[in-house]
Amino acid sequence: MKRNTIVSFAVLFILATFAWAGWANWEYRKQAAARSAAMAASGADLAADTSSGTLVFHSPLTGKPAPDFTLDDLNGKAVSLANYRGKAVMINFWATWCTPCQIETPWIVELRDKYASQGFEVLGVSSQGDDATPKDKTLWDKDKAAIAKFAQQKKLPYPVLLGGDGISKPYGGVEDLPTSFFVNRKGVVVATEMGLTSESDLEADIQKALKD
Amino acid sequence: MLGRNSRIGIGIALAAGCAAIAFGQFISNTPSHALPKTPPVAYLYPEQVHLPAGKASEVALHFRIVEGMHINSHTPHDDFLIPTTFSIPTGAGVRLDSAKYPAGNDISLPSAPNMKLNVYSGEFVVQTHMVATPGNHLIKGTLHFQACNMSQCLPPQTITAAIDVVAK
Repeated sequence: MKRNTIVSFAVLFILATFAWAGWANWEYRKQAAARSAAMAASGADLAADTSSGTLVFHSPLTGKPAPDFTLDDLNGKAVSLANYRGKAVMINFWATWCTPCQIETPWIVELRDKYASQGFEVLGVSSQGDDATPKDKTLWDKDKAAIAKFAQQKKLPYPVLLGGDGISKPYGGVEDLPTSFFVNRKGVVVATEMGLTSESDLEADIQKALKD
Repeated sequence: MLGRNSRIGIGIALAAGCAAIAFGQFISNTPSHALPKTPPVAYLYPEQVHLPAGKASEVALHFRIVEGMHINSHTPHDDFLIPTTFSIPTGAGVRLDSAKYPAGNDISLPSAPNMKLNVYSGEFVVQTHMVATPGNHLIKGTLHFQACNMSQCLPPQTITAAIDVVAK
């Protein structure tokens, strides 16, 4: 009798585990399908979903100090994140060949101008994806020329930094562009965005960085 | 023959194993917005071609792009964008005489409907002419491209198209 009870409980437990795993899997696949459909169908829908909190990208860096870095800007001047302590900073990883980056750049310029007086700055970290360093002069100069041309065409008012591939690792191995990290005045990452979202999403992140 | 208790034990162990697999499959489906890290373009075929030696011969190379992504065509509309190109390394016994790329499709991202992108998606074919010296050559042609979906882009990548060229 006792043995039968134990066996019955064991069988019931296993069946319940099966049922739960099946249900959870079905729920996950349903949500994943909805996300894929939204992404494939419309970036606008994706942005709307993002606003509602469904598609927010959570980086493991959120809530942690932003890793410091020093990179050269287009004029060869060394720029460190540490120099911006006390300001809210958007670290925007981008590349000249990235169309979503091209689309969001005017939004970033507009928002930078809007919030600069409150202590907000953007660091445009160029990540061409070829791991170029100043030692590889031909590739470095080619990248630099393209980045300078882009910065000039878009009239970027903020520092544009070269060699972003070199600091990708401490930021979680940034490969998908655009990716942005929003850092508050204390140097802590308070929000992240991966991929093209919307100007209102970026503005909300900036406000959060200024407020925290 | 196994005893009744043993059979029940084995049955429970098997069922528990299946349950563990089902659970593992669920927890492995970690939601992520990162793009896949495997190359978004694959070379399909041919794996082997027979060509007359020393004569430019047509070889159609078939590629497939993963669903939901696109790559720039050979002639993107914007100078900043990276065109798709195929090449064959020198000294392989096979020379790329010419490559004719398909026309891309014009698309635009919802956030910028006026910005037209000329892209490939799904399957596409590069029509090449190759000239081979007599003999068997295992060539590793390369396709250079840059892929995006509707909101994100991956860095430029190069994949290999391995083709056994038999020239007589």
